[in-house]
Amino acid sequence: MRKKMKLIVALSVLGLVVPLAGCSETGGNATEEDAASYPSEELDWTIAFGPGGGNDIMARTLVNIIQQYDLYPENIRLENREGGGGATGWGYLLNNSGSGYDISTTSGSFITTPMQADTGWTYEDFTPVGLFSSDDAIFTLNGDNPINTWEEWVDYAKGEKSVVVGGIGPLNVDFILHALLAEAGGYEIEYVPFNDEGQLNTALLSHALDASVNNTGSILGQFEAGAMKPLLYTGISRLDVLPDVPTGEELGITGLPSMPRGMILAPDAPKVAQDWWIATMKKVVATPEWKEYLDSNYLTENIAWGDDFFDQVKSTSDDFETVLSDIGAL
Amino acid sequence: MDIFNNLAQGIITILTVQNVLLLLAGVTLGMIIGVMPGLGPTAGIAILLPVTFGMDPTGAIIMLAAVYYGSMYGGTITSVLINTPGESATVASTFDGFPLARQGRAGPALVMAAIASFIAGTIGVILLSAFAPMVASIARTFGPPELFLIVVVGLLTLIMIIGKNRILGILSALIGFALATVGIDIGVGEQRYTFGSSELISGIDFVPVAIGLFGVGEILYSLWRGAHKEHLDFGKISIKGKGFWPTRSDFKESNGAMVRGSFLGFFTGLAPGAGATVASLMSYSLEKSISKKPERFGKGAMAGLAGPEAANNGASAGAMVPLLTLGIPGSAATAVLLAAFLMWGLQPGPLLMEQNPDFAWGLIASMYLGNVALLIINIFMIPTFANVARVPFRILAPIIIVICVLGTFAVHSSMVEVGIMLACGVLGFFMRRYGFSPAALVIALVLGPLAEESLRQTMIISGGNLGIFIERSASMWILAVMVALIALPFVSRRITRLAAMAVTEFGRRRRGTPVEPSPEAQDSLGSPGSPGSPDLLDLSGQKKDVNSPN
Repeated sequence: MRKKMKLIVALSVLGLVVPLAGCSETGGNATEEDAASYPSEELDWTIAFGPGGGNDIMARTLVNIIQQYDLYPENIRLENREGGGGATGWGYLLNNSGSGYDISTTSGSFITTPMQADTGWTYEDFTPVGLFSSDDAIFTLNGDNPINTWEEWVDYAKGEKSVVVGGIGPLNVDFILHALLAEAGGYEIEYVPFNDEGQLNTALLSHALDASVNNTGSILGQFEAGAMKPLLYTGISRLDVLPDVPTGEELGITGLPSMPRGMILAPDAPKVAQDWWIATMKKVVATPEWKEYLDSNYLTENIAWGDDFFDQVKSTSDDFETVLSDIGAL
Repeated sequence: MDIFNNLAQGIITILTVQNVLLLLAGVTLGMIIGVMPGLGPTAGIAILLPVTFGMDPTGAIIMLAAVYYGSMYGGTITSVLINTPGESATVASTFDGFPLARQGRAGPALVMAAIASFIAGTIGVILLSAFAPMVASIARTFGPPELFLIVVVGLLTLIMIIGKNRILGILSALIGFALATVGIDIGVGEQRYTFGSSELISGIDFVPVAIGLFGVGEILYSLWRGAHKEHLDFGKISIKGKGFWPTRSDFKESNGAMVRGSFLGFFTGLAPGAGATVASLMSYSLEKSISKKPERFGKGAMAGLAGPEAANNGASAGAMVPLLTLGIPGSAATAVLLAAFLMWGLQPGPLLMEQNPDFAWGLIASMYLGNVALLIINIFMIPTFANVARVPFRILAPIIIVICVLGTFAVHSSMVEVGIMLACGVLGFFMRRYGFSPAALVIALVLGPLAEESLRQTMIISGGNLGIFIERSASMWILAVMVALIALPFVSRRITRLAAMAVTEFGRRRRGTPVEPSPEAQDSLGSPGSPGSPDLLDLSGQKKDVNSPN
């Protein structure tokens, strides 16, 4: 099944690239490229979110590494094109279809935004470069809660009519995680969406919420201080910094989604550009600077190149759609 | 006095030549960024964040704290001079700041704003140093129900701001609420009024609307009034000039306002979300309701500028409490700082102060030194800025419009937002022409979504039960303060009257003879017979005299 899919994607990419290569009018820069001359122009790097956020920091880290190792010979122009949960930035890439010089980094919204809004694109429209890491979450309780394990939590939650849980965004990955966990545990939830992490965390601390899901990096300090406690990690293997927190899989909960952090080119980008970037990014993810970035942000390394990247995105996306339509949200 | 030792230690640590230069550079850069309409502290910090990656954390935080304060103040400069708040926290500063500038008192207004910021900064840092752990336990009680109540307190200021023309004022606020509904509905993730446009998914931002309504709207209105034909005869403003410094009566009027604003700001700043904006609006309506001359508000009352300025700065200090003691960002700008902590390899959380005392106290100290630097730099820079008020309108107007367009575009590089800004400029002109209140619209636009979001969260949490507001002790307290704030205009009258009566009574007893009440006492005794009605009359009298601050 998966193999077939890969073949289709590969064929369709080929099918889109080949006619483009033969046509000299569409997107001047896209056509004249051959393996020897790429890259020969300024790179337009879109960050689909505001400065200071996770996506922004990843993009800037990547650019720093690329420049430090002189991997890109021309100038790189970094631009925050934020708005609409990534719709604006990735929409900009869509408008530059065929270009080999328009690039962007992805995050969870790459999957969820097109489900919510009429963006005019889905992930399938873009040219995949690669997946570098994934963002997982921690299921968190208030520090003064007497519950200490996932089993105790399930027992407690089953005894209640419903428990109040929180996360970021209305129909985002946080909601899906809560829905999947509740399904696995057999309890009912009321999900409270928040716009930012500050309000989510205070809501948990103020006992307005029973539980929340959080990003690892910004929440570790809370665990260390005992203000909050972690019950479950949604990643594949335990975190080095939280060796006692079990993963979902260990507790028999499979298929918990994670957010893909990868890189894409504009739709129908020339094959030579895609190949060049795959080769280049292979060098980037091997650098100590990149490892340091992963460590300091507590990200799980998860590497897939080209179409393999989009295969993973597809399976996450399908999971989301199933969950969301089960709940009747779509 | 451990804490003050810590603070002193912090100040000493950062007082190196390099750090002082970073501090001065940060404040100046911040001011320049803040003066650009649309770019405020959040943008300032975010823009400079990548620059600091290569620095050591202490140097970096000094620079960012300086940028933070500099750009806060930069926003005040445009609010006062060209009626354009670059940031929602400085909307309240336009109400009386701009009328002051129009009367040729831009210099004193800006100096007073800098002094108010400085005093609030000082009070804030003292509170932060001395009571941070205690205050942190307050900050951690602010869940959605509490946040909702605080936003409602902010919205109550609409009553004060709308002024005499109630129907038009309420209509203005409703337009603001309507604009606020555009975008993704936070409750269920549905799109509302976006008409399929991806540009509108994240809603209509406050910045282009405020720049349009206030900045461009003001220009159009002035043109319509024929301001380009007027001859300005404001003298040149310099530090030595008499007109530069606030007068003794300005200070007398503002002292109380600054102190009240500082405390109000600090505690409001603890709440995540609307801290500085709500604080400055609350301070404005507090000052107006306790002022002896409320009719001067909106026409250039110094207290109406000093209070909100102190409050928004106090709130910046307050927002540092949850950041440093709980590891929770209380505002957009502190959220960017939190991201920066991670980049510098610091672990934000409740233990940050314990584990990195040098860094935490360095941050607090640099906040304070940022205030000092701001005050000093301002004394030298204000004449330059204030002289903008002397530029003939026919020259100034096109420049302001160009700056407004550039500033709006700079925020998100979005032409749609420039279009919204220009449309709001036209709207602002007609609102002013026909007596609507642009201020009410903007406040509703900023606070509406917060109120909606926090109320919906509260209702999900409580399962639709309004009782949650009295079940939680923190929200009970806020409710009590709310009732006190509403009752204040009524009660303060009564207290004055009781005091006057007591004084008269005392005098009579002392002399042993019945005397005529003094004219003052008689005045405040009001008309006898109906104890409730004079208050009511008085309140509506206040409203009658006051023009909506637009």
